[in-house]
Amino acid sequence: MARRLLFSLIGIVVVAVAAVSANLIAGNSPSLGLDLQGGASVTLEPEGEFDADALSVAVEIIRQRVDSIGVAEPEIIRQGDTVVVNLPGVKDQKRALEIVGRTGEVLMRPVLQSGVPNDNPSTTTVAGATTTVAGATTTSSAASPTTLAADTPASIAPTTVPAPGSGLRLVKAAPATTVPETTLPPATAAKPTDTTTTSPDLLLATPYTTTTTLAPPTPEVSLTNEADKIAILSGRDGLVYYAGPAGADGQVFENDAGAEISNGGWVVTVGLRDGSQGEDAWNALANECFTKSQSCPTGQIAIVLDGEVISAPVVQTNNFSGNVQITGDFSEREARDLAKILEFGAVPVRFSAPTAQTVSATLGQDSLDAALIAGLVGVALVLIFLILYYRRLALVVLVGLAISGMLQWSLISWLSERNGLALSLSGAAGIIVSIGVTVDSYVVFFEKLKDDVLAGRMLRNSATRSFQSAWRTILAADTVSLIGAVVLWYLTVGAVRGFAFFLALSTLCDMVIAYFYTRPTVILLSRSRLMNKGKMLGVSARRVLGGEPTLEGGARS
Amino acid sequence: MSGRWQRLYRGETTADFFGRRWWGFGLSLALLAVTIGSLFIQGLDLGIDFKGGVAWEAPATKELTIEEARGVLEANKIEADNAKIQTLGSGDGGRIRIQVGEQTPQTRDAVQSDLAKKSGVKTEDVSVSDVSSSWGRSITEKAIRALLVFFLLVSVYIAWRFEWKMTLSAIAAMTHDVVVAVGIYSIFQFQVTPATVIAFLTILGYSLYDTVVVFDKVKDNSERFAAQRVSYADITNVSMNQVLMRSLNTSFSSLLPVLSLLLLGAGLLRAVALQEFALALFVGMATGAYSSICIATPLLTIMKQREPKYRTLIGQVSLGAEMTQLTTTGAPVSRRSSRAAASSEGEVSVRDEAEPVGTAAQRAAAVLSHPPRPRKKRRR
Repeated sequence: MARRLLFSLIGIVVVAVAAVSANLIAGNSPSLGLDLQGGASVTLEPEGEFDADALSVAVEIIRQRVDSIGVAEPEIIRQGDTVVVNLPGVKDQKRALEIVGRTGEVLMRPVLQSGVPNDNPSTTTVAGATTTVAGATTTSSAASPTTLAADTPASIAPTTVPAPGSGLRLVKAAPATTVPETTLPPATAAKPTDTTTTSPDLLLATPYTTTTTLAPPTPEVSLTNEADKIAILSGRDGLVYYAGPAGADGQVFENDAGAEISNGGWVVTVGLRDGSQGEDAWNALANECFTKSQSCPTGQIAIVLDGEVISAPVVQTNNFSGNVQITGDFSEREARDLAKILEFGAVPVRFSAPTAQTVSATLGQDSLDAALIAGLVGVALVLIFLILYYRRLALVVLVGLAISGMLQWSLISWLSERNGLALSLSGAAGIIVSIGVTVDSYVVFFEKLKDDVLAGRMLRNSATRSFQSAWRTILAADTVSLIGAVVLWYLTVGAVRGFAFFLALSTLCDMVIAYFYTRPTVILLSRSRLMNKGKMLGVSARRVLGGEPTLEGGARS
Repeated sequence: MSGRWQRLYRGETTADFFGRRWWGFGLSLALLAVTIGSLFIQGLDLGIDFKGGVAWEAPATKELTIEEARGVLEANKIEADNAKIQTLGSGDGGRIRIQVGEQTPQTRDAVQSDLAKKSGVKTEDVSVSDVSSSWGRSITEKAIRALLVFFLLVSVYIAWRFEWKMTLSAIAAMTHDVVVAVGIYSIFQFQVTPATVIAFLTILGYSLYDTVVVFDKVKDNSERFAAQRVSYADITNVSMNQVLMRSLNTSFSSLLPVLSLLLLGAGLLRAVALQEFALALFVGMATGAYSSICIATPLLTIMKQREPKYRTLIGQVSLGAEMTQLTTTGAPVSRRSSRAAASSEGEVSVRDEAEPVGTAAQRAAAVLSHPPRPRKKRRR
């Protein structure tokens, strides 16, 4: 028994110390919420109709945008349909909020050229495009040459669906590192109408030159995916696309995109909307590409989501009716992603921002200082009170609070690193409040112990018994707190949620500490000579066995 | 005096909590009446997070005063009359907070940069918070829904762990605490912010926690006295006297950090966000400890003493020395008939409250569920 107690005591201390040192070594520290360090926060709520898949695409878009802003520890939380974006420490708050809140869109652009980005810095002279290009080279996505086919009986027949453009396959096979082979695919090998396209190095090195020759009507090149301009876009497959003005947007499709297996491969099928905004717009674009006219020399249509080319299938027919099939060397995930994105394009999720908040860095710093100082002074006051009241036994509380503090600090640091948890002002308040609850566990136990000693038990006997009874009380009371925390966590948003999290965390810590630390410590102490010297709790047994019934309190007054 | 403290410390006080229940009930009824009156007359001052609007917070400098801020609003075509402009703190760290109704993002940004210009800081140093009214409504709805679910779950838990009569009393006490805390906000017209809601929720949890601890003791004691003819009022009286020290201790150690938050954080360091939060907590925790003893337990007693087991014992209360004996020995005074005890009750209590000395010799066997083993010689 004693050995087991000792083991538990040593165990919890070792765990706490190990957790703290592991976090220190890993350099983890609690990240601060924006109300403690300044920053911007926006809550986005989808407006109007949307479907769940489209929403998850929208959240993905937001994530990418936040990454592109370059915030150190962004926090993107989905709470039901609501998305909370926290950007602590962001510099240009106004711009950040604007970028995040913009609606993502799916565009259909004719591909003018595509190629493997030239990641040799000496030759990459495209000023603005460098960043996009560089990032794309590492993509190992297998998004492969894809083909488009009208979903008509005729096109399903193998004879009318030609093999996917062989040129594209070549590109895919080419290792991206060797310079000579990082060239443009002769995508339009069948019919090279445009001489300028045959010089791929030229495109990558100086796209502006190409622009002037290729697309005289729109000399402006957009790097930001503006619909009516030519744009240089990076693709999910690691290629860079040089694409013309959008011929259509995602709303040409019905909201029914689906991925399925057909003829041994994954196929994405999506319906076309009727009318000029649907089928007609799409067919106009498809026709341009099918005939490989000047505006679409590659015959490919790039499906672009928020500036990223998701897929660039080669058009196989000029007249689509009803629906569109996209086939290719898809993996299941790629096919499903594409279907999701098409669905998002059909019904883009527009967000409204019901709350936006920016907190200046100085205000955050002030709040942090206040919470820290108030918390420390609070703990100190509680300790002084306990020392006055419980004397020697308060040492147990002191060490217990230290261990509990170590555990909580480690957990918060670790979760900050892993899950982007941020300690906010409300969370700090939750922790300060929980000091009282933690101390209460000791108080319940010690008072029980005192009762037993008063009733005439020896300290060593009462410690075990008292703990059992105190433990029941602690469990009941902590369970109520936990229920509260869990309910709040699931049913509310924003600050209340943060509070609930830290309340739950500290309540759990309290239970662990009570069982693995307080119990062995007090039981072991009660057996030691030190604690049995004098009156540990300031009380000794009532003399109730006959004779003069003298209660000490009564006698002294 | 030292004797009284000693008794308190040893859990041997013999206060007749149940007999004085109307003091607590009266006080609480008065508080509730004031609260409800105030809620009807003035209502609550809801912050922008609940009704929608824009708030700016800028460092107050010589150049940026309340008048100047009003000017900025008017320059941006916002009705300055409806705006709420206040200074938070004073001196170097002072801030000006301006709250208005819903605005377009353009106006919001324009005012932000104007304020920054006026006070001579960067735009980023002016904090902005913009909330739409629909969001505020949904927040409130969510909070209320969470509250109802919480009530339900906790009720089930307490009913399972204890019994449903305890559930009723605990929920009543908890409601009382929250209403009183809300009353403070209404009476003094403090602004209700999300932090306030958090504080209210904490109060709920804390109030329940406290009540559960007291009820745990009551449950213990009702098992302990199960074999004896002890009225339920006695059981609760004994229990409350036993947990009194714990309640005081816990309340004290919970209130100390909150007090430090209130005085240091809000007072010295001017973190205004903390001030109202700490105030709500302070009031709520104090009432939480009070209500678990003065509301929840008397209510429970009123309900429980009508049960067949206790019905015949209504009105039979042990006071003073008798209560001491009950507490220490676990057996009621057996020599007297219940009638005699009732008649001599007043006299006993007057005498014994000053000095509750245990009565005649008590059997050791009665003290404990099993008698302590005789002390052995220590081995070492």
